Amino acid sequence: MKRHIAAGIALGAAAILAVSACSSSKKSNGGTGGATGGGGGGAAVTLNFVGADYGTGPANSSQKYWEGIASDFHANNPNITVKVQTINWNDFDNRIKTMVQNKQYPDVMEGDYFPDYAQAGLLYAAKDVTSPGTFSNLLPVFAKLNTYNGIQYGMPFTTSARTLFYSKKIFQAAGISAAPKTWADVQADAAKIKAQGKIGFGMPLGSEEAQAESLLWFLGNDGGYQDSSGNTWTINSSQNVEALQFMSGMVKAGDTEPNPGTKNRTDLWKQFAQGQIGMINGSPALIPIIQDGKVLQTADWTSVPIPGKSGPLDKTLGVCDNVSVFKTDPKKQVAITKFLNFFYQDRYQTQFDREYDLLPATTSAINALSSDPTFGPFLSALPKSVQYPNQPVWSTVKTQIQQQIGLAMTQDPKKILDQIQQTAEKGS
Amino acid sequence: MADTVTGRAGATTAETGPVHHRRQPRGRRALRAMSPLLWVGPAIALIGVVVLWPVYVMFKTAFQHFTPNGFYLGPAGWKNFKNLFNEPDLNSVLERTGVWVVVVVGVTMALSLGLAELFNVRFPGRRVARWALIAPWAASVLMTAFIFRWALDPNYGVINIFLHDIGVLKEFGSNQADWLGRPDSAFAWMMVVAIFVSLPFSTYALLAGLQTIPHELYEAARVDGASKWRTYRSITLPLLRPAFLVALLINVINVFNSFPIIWGMTRGGPGYETATTTVFMFQLKQAFIGESAAMSVINFGLVIVVVLVFLKVTRWRDQVT
Amino acid sequence: MSAAVATATASEGAVAQRRRRGRRRLTPRLLIVSVAAYLIGIIFLLPYVEMVITALRPPSELQSRNYVPEHWDWSNFTSIWKTGFGTNLRVSLQIAGGATLLVLIVALPAAYYTARRKFRLRVLFLLLVLATQMFQPAALLVGIQRQFTSYGLSPVTSLILVNAGFNLAFAVWILNAYFSSIPAELEEAAMVDGTSRIGALTRITLPLALPGVVTALIFTFIAAWNEFIVALTLTGDPSKGPLTVAINNYIGQYSVDWGHLFAGSVIATIPVIILFALIEGKVVGGLTAGSIK
Repeated sequence: MKRHIAAGIALGAAAILAVSACSSSKKSNGGTGGATGGGGGGAAVTLNFVGADYGTGPANSSQKYWEGIASDFHANNPNITVKVQTINWNDFDNRIKTMVQNKQYPDVMEGDYFPDYAQAGLLYAAKDVTSPGTFSNLLPVFAKLNTYNGIQYGMPFTTSARTLFYSKKIFQAAGISAAPKTWADVQADAAKIKAQGKIGFGMPLGSEEAQAESLLWFLGNDGGYQDSSGNTWTINSSQNVEALQFMSGMVKAGDTEPNPGTKNRTDLWKQFAQGQIGMINGSPALIPIIQDGKVLQTADWTSVPIPGKSGPLDKTLGVCDNVSVFKTDPKKQVAITKFLNFFYQDRYQTQFDREYDLLPATTSAINALSSDPTFGPFLSALPKSVQYPNQPVWSTVKTQIQQQIGLAMTQDPKKILDQIQQTAEKGS
Repeated sequence: MADTVTGRAGATTAETGPVHHRRQPRGRRALRAMSPLLWVGPAIALIGVVVLWPVYVMFKTAFQHFTPNGFYLGPAGWKNFKNLFNEPDLNSVLERTGVWVVVVVGVTMALSLGLAELFNVRFPGRRVARWALIAPWAASVLMTAFIFRWALDPNYGVINIFLHDIGVLKEFGSNQADWLGRPDSAFAWMMVVAIFVSLPFSTYALLAGLQTIPHELYEAARVDGASKWRTYRSITLPLLRPAFLVALLINVINVFNSFPIIWGMTRGGPGYETATTTVFMFQLKQAFIGESAAMSVINFGLVIVVVLVFLKVTRWRDQVT
Repeated sequence: MSAAVATATASEGAVAQRRRRGRRRLTPRLLIVSVAAYLIGIIFLLPYVEMVITALRPPSELQSRNYVPEHWDWSNFTSIWKTGFGTNLRVSLQIAGGATLLVLIVALPAAYYTARRKFRLRVLFLLLVLATQMFQPAALLVGIQRQFTSYGLSPVTSLILVNAGFNLAFAVWILNAYFSSIPAELEEAAMVDGTSRIGALTRITLPLALPGVVTALIFTFIAAWNEFIVALTLTGDPSKGPLTVAINNYIGQYSVDWGHLFAGSVIATIPVIILFALIEGKVVGGLTAGSIK
């Protein structure tokens, strides 16, 4: 009896294999047929698009945003199909690096910009894949960030400025009346909040975005990754060391969540939205997460300039996510240019910003949004923003910061910053 | 198909000239010589291309210089190895790998000795109980790791809920509840998961070993009036030795190469504080391909040692002839 | 030697059955043993029970501290298909199916021939199989990545090859043992009756070796189905990867999308556990190269 069952399963499985093998080979044949057909004048072209996911849940995933654009675009250009794929931020760098190591380049990518790809000659210059109108409309503040050897490769797509979010509800319960302005304020307030059984300050130093959180603290002590010239690395400067020492003092006192080196931004933002964290550095992208959480009402939270050692920061970290275009197939260049000109239209820029509460990256879209009460304060902070380094070695340095900086909470910060400084200097 | 092969083989012999002199016609003799390759050749080719060639590529890569994006820059000599040995974290990663293998394999083997004894007893419903045992073996290790990661969530994990209910855990969301946030406790929990997923195979291997021990030996021991413990020590353990050793070695290989548990639960972090050499190799690969290959070469050396011991223990000549 | 092993394996079930009928009195000792064994069995299943429970938790109850949710919610199992899970499932079927097929095509003749004939390459071949059985993709990952990406194959094809290559040893061992246990005289008798060699193989030997074939088939399928590190390395785009890569992508997706992660895990693991239960008794022989009978 048992043997019969086994035989049946074997046959069934074999049948499934045969069927799936057939269908797969048919599929791949069809695929290559379509791709080779892209050569002729009006023949079909397929563009592969990879983007980061800014959504707070499946309902508003960026997959939907881009698929909407892709289908609008296809309606206008019936012979160009855009295949959309989004990747979560936690994994974005890893996945892109794997794709590039494997030479499975997407055609168009939106998310982090990797200066080393420009160095390796993998990217089209921005001018070569946009119309003059689209190119000149890109926010000039971020041009330097995206430039390698005098040529701009990355194109800003969405921007954000960082501020300190705090829960008025928790502040009230802890008997705090004023917003924190200095590190000392942050520490004192965090201790009071901790006494209420909540987390005082959310400090995401896990691998997702540790390079942002630590830079915000470095800036508060007049430190940073580079000096103002943008050519000299200052990762292990005494200001940065001091900032990490202050942070680790807070961690040891229990003013933050436990073990910040293993906690990611998205998780802590969610906890802030659930009313468990008193203060956290955030971008406007935190707002939809708060609304999703349905715990904090609009009157229950606010955001202020980030406190520094002796006073609030006058310049904040301006983060910009970019579009880069890979040189995959010269025949696709025209189609790609059409696609970029299409999605840089104001209506898609503002749609994106309203969906995720992020800021636009084109001058015309900024003008369209500048009177909006949510966006106004963030937009005015943008021109004064500090940005990440633009050297090719930054990709590696960033990975190392994400991997290592959390250890500075339990180990000697100087030693860890020295190691990262070494990596940076070796590359440049 | 057979015709073409004969033809080609015939041509080859014609070129190389007469090597062996037998009375068979040339074509047929060549077919004889070729026919093993016809049957076994595809298997050799598959192993050659998929298993052996990457070994060569890996060694080659360890002596080459690459950009983080995988572009070849030129030969690197021993520089990748030098950089690897200069990694400040390498020593602790190596030590941790040692602890990982010794503890996980040691505890697994000890526990599965007991489990095998238990499941060797003929009790009603044994078959069903044995089936329950295989779940962690059949299920994806990655998914098992995710289950434990969720169960250890500092705020809502079911293990923490249980620990809170029995009074061990004082406060949710506290440092105490954050098992995977502290490197020491994270590593301890990951070893628990590794033991959990290794137990089924070891237990089954030892069960199979127990069944090879002739019943008559136990009868004889009983007639001689030997105590249970004495019987176990002088009959069961020595006769179980081959099965035990093979299971142990296979476990050593599996546990040493284990990636999904650590990747799924902590990604080796914070820093490299919970990484073993396999995870460290993967972390290095993101930016330092050559150095990662150097790490792989060292890992591979350890694997080779285990393989040699395995071949000796399984008395490969007996298996093969 | 290995022929004897396989015969023992094949007839083991029958012998055990006969023995079992021998005595069946429930002594207190037996009762304690049974209870202990059941308890251990339950402990082994508990994590997977938690997996199912979490998959069935309504999103609002992910943050309630109870062992079992107040309401059950199947929506994760319906909404997961909108996250592209269907594609991942298809990719997994292609990879595991393709690898299984390839292993069978390659391992069947090799195992049959080594079981029936003594040839010069035989020892070398079996040694190669025995030694490479201990190689795992994780240790060779850098080599695999550099090699396969230079071929320009699709990730699915590469993964079929890699999974087939690394699971070939198991299939060869278990099939070799089964073929050796089937007397060659059976085939010869059939051939005397006018059946061709291939006919004798397919009509006499293969059916007798079927349990071995099924074991090799299911084992390879499961191993390829669960494989993670190579899949993670060779597929950049998680939407075109197999289930393990897709499920890994739920980590970090909107913090962690536990509902879909475990709904996906349930879909990916339950069938595999059931399949494995069918071959459970025969796997050890293949994994230990017949050194444990």
